[in-house]
Amino acid sequence: MVNRRKLSGMMVTTIGLVITLGIAFIIAIILIFILSKEPGKTIYYFFAGPFTNRYYFGNMLNSAIPLVFTGLGISIAFKSSLFNLGGEGQVYAGALVTTFICLALPNFNGFLGGFMALTAGVATGAVLAGLSGFFKMKWGTDLLISSFLISGAVVLIVNYFITGPMDDPNSSLLTTPGIALQYRLPQILKPSKLDISILLSVAAAVLIFFFMYYTHRGYEMRMCGLNREFARYGGVNVSTYLILPMILSGALHGLGGGLAVMGTHHMALKEFTFGMGWNGIAVALIARNHPLGVLPAALFFAYLGAGAKAAMLHSDVTFEIATIIQSIIFYLITAQSIYRFIRYRKRVHK
Amino acid sequence: MSGNEFTFPLIHNAVGIMTPFLLAAIGGLFTELAGMLNIALEGLMLIGAFFSVVFTAATGSIFLGITLGILSSMLVALLFGVISLHLKANIFIAGLATNLLASGLTVVLAFQLFGSKGVIRFENIPKLPVLSIPALQGIPVLGDLLIGHNILVYISWLCLIIAAVVIYHTPFGLRLRGTGLGKSTIASLGLRPASYQLAAILISGFTCGLAGAILTLNLSAFVPNITSGRGWIALVVIYLGNKTPIGILIASFVFGFAESFSNYAQGAINIPAEFILAFPYIITVVAMIGYSIWRHHKTSTE
Repeated sequence: MVNRRKLSGMMVTTIGLVITLGIAFIIAIILIFILSKEPGKTIYYFFAGPFTNRYYFGNMLNSAIPLVFTGLGISIAFKSSLFNLGGEGQVYAGALVTTFICLALPNFNGFLGGFMALTAGVATGAVLAGLSGFFKMKWGTDLLISSFLISGAVVLIVNYFITGPMDDPNSSLLTTPGIALQYRLPQILKPSKLDISILLSVAAAVLIFFFMYYTHRGYEMRMCGLNREFARYGGVNVSTYLILPMILSGALHGLGGGLAVMGTHHMALKEFTFGMGWNGIAVALIARNHPLGVLPAALFFAYLGAGAKAAMLHSDVTFEIATIIQSIIFYLITAQSIYRFIRYRKRVHK
Repeated sequence: MSGNEFTFPLIHNAVGIMTPFLLAAIGGLFTELAGMLNIALEGLMLIGAFFSVVFTAATGSIFLGITLGILSSMLVALLFGVISLHLKANIFIAGLATNLLASGLTVVLAFQLFGSKGVIRFENIPKLPVLSIPALQGIPVLGDLLIGHNILVYISWLCLIIAAVVIYHTPFGLRLRGTGLGKSTIASLGLRPASYQLAAILISGFTCGLAGAILTLNLSAFVPNITSGRGWIALVVIYLGNKTPIGILIASFVFGFAESFSNYAQGAINIPAEFILAFPYIITVVAMIGYSIWRHHKTSTE
């Protein structure tokens, strides 16, 4: 019986999701008809574009990778009922520090040096998010606002390093020099930018899933997320779970940033991680904070972006049309009334 | 008197710069007191910024332009309100959606109308009138600081006074605050808490529209994402201002001063611009932590 109830809950969620995405796509089509002079072509590239060749397809998968990491990071925080609004800064700083280590060790062993660089990136993200957790634990400082503000300052400071001391004087772009060849992750679907870190992203999702649902700490963490007072009553050291989820969340953001450097861009460009943090929040919401759900959710977001990009290249609409569709999904994704309506309809049919 | 020559323009500029923060925070105060975390301030401001300059250029009248800009912002606020209150979406997520919608919609429309996704300049549109109110000049010490601003600066002060009166001295304000304290109390009086919350959201649409209008009409141009985090800072202003009208006036002045000082320091002191731009964020974090430490000690000693 328990299982059946769980299953029907999942079904309501799924139907709700399908309705939400359906409405979003209908609005997308209407928008294209208003904005485009050749709507047929635009719609074709918007929906089918990412599948028309290896290059587009690989790039779509590639742009899902950082979203998996940021989505996982946000899920962990949300599951513990903590807010991490500093994702943007954590990804960007993680990317910068990874680049810095790679540039500082130009002739080092690729595996060891790469490992060190990623670890440093992860640590950077972890410290940035952990700080907010620490302030919350120690003095009750509002997590939402402190993580956002710290990130806001960090983004500007990273900008300074990329355009100032670490700037590549030989490049016309605002960027650091490229990292040495031995640090660049192997590509797996040429000519697209897809690299082996996609396997890491899947592994990360599975690992986080096991941590959250099959370990003692993961259980305590979720319990704190459900009801902190009750968890305290049950003997859980609740203050630990103000910091630990934030550290993990920041670490995953830092990892996403570091891998974006070593896998895709091979350098840190000004604001090149922009949007990864915010979209991570969207991914976590669509996935209902479930680590395994993050994978398809990230893929869906990457698809939306890739479709808009293809439509922009082959037709006359601008990329930001994807932003509008995203916002519609955001609006509807947590709308309780939709789910209540589905449940109501089901009861009537029985 | 060299000290005075240095501080006077600094403070005078700060009074101008603080206005968008103050206006957005006034609207945000209403939603905050009605018990909602309104992160849509940023997006509503952006909508107001875009449409007020576009409509000013289209109609040739600054009054019509601002009015239509405010209406656009209120329309988006209505969408935000209906979805979060009537479709019962999470208000935080709906707020994020509003910010995304604003940044997407303004760029798409700018591209469609002007064929550009960069800075759009509007030549020959009317400028915001600058006022020198003689009555204010008569105030000792402060007088010179309070005159010579554009008209929206004075309107923002008027809005603050009206807001204080409405919040503390009208039945509407009482019920609004009641909604924030406990919805069931208001419902038990036979009133609908959602109506008060929707009204608060529409008010925030109004003030954010006005706040956005200042940004673009001062420049006679639209820059994508011109609000650049001001809505978020307005939210911080509300918290730092302890959710009172006088508090948000002081807090937004602190921010105005920090930005005015950054502008000055950029020209005068050899510090990288990025560090100076990061200054308001850092000050706020430090202030927030300081405030929470103070509150922490206060509650633990009681």
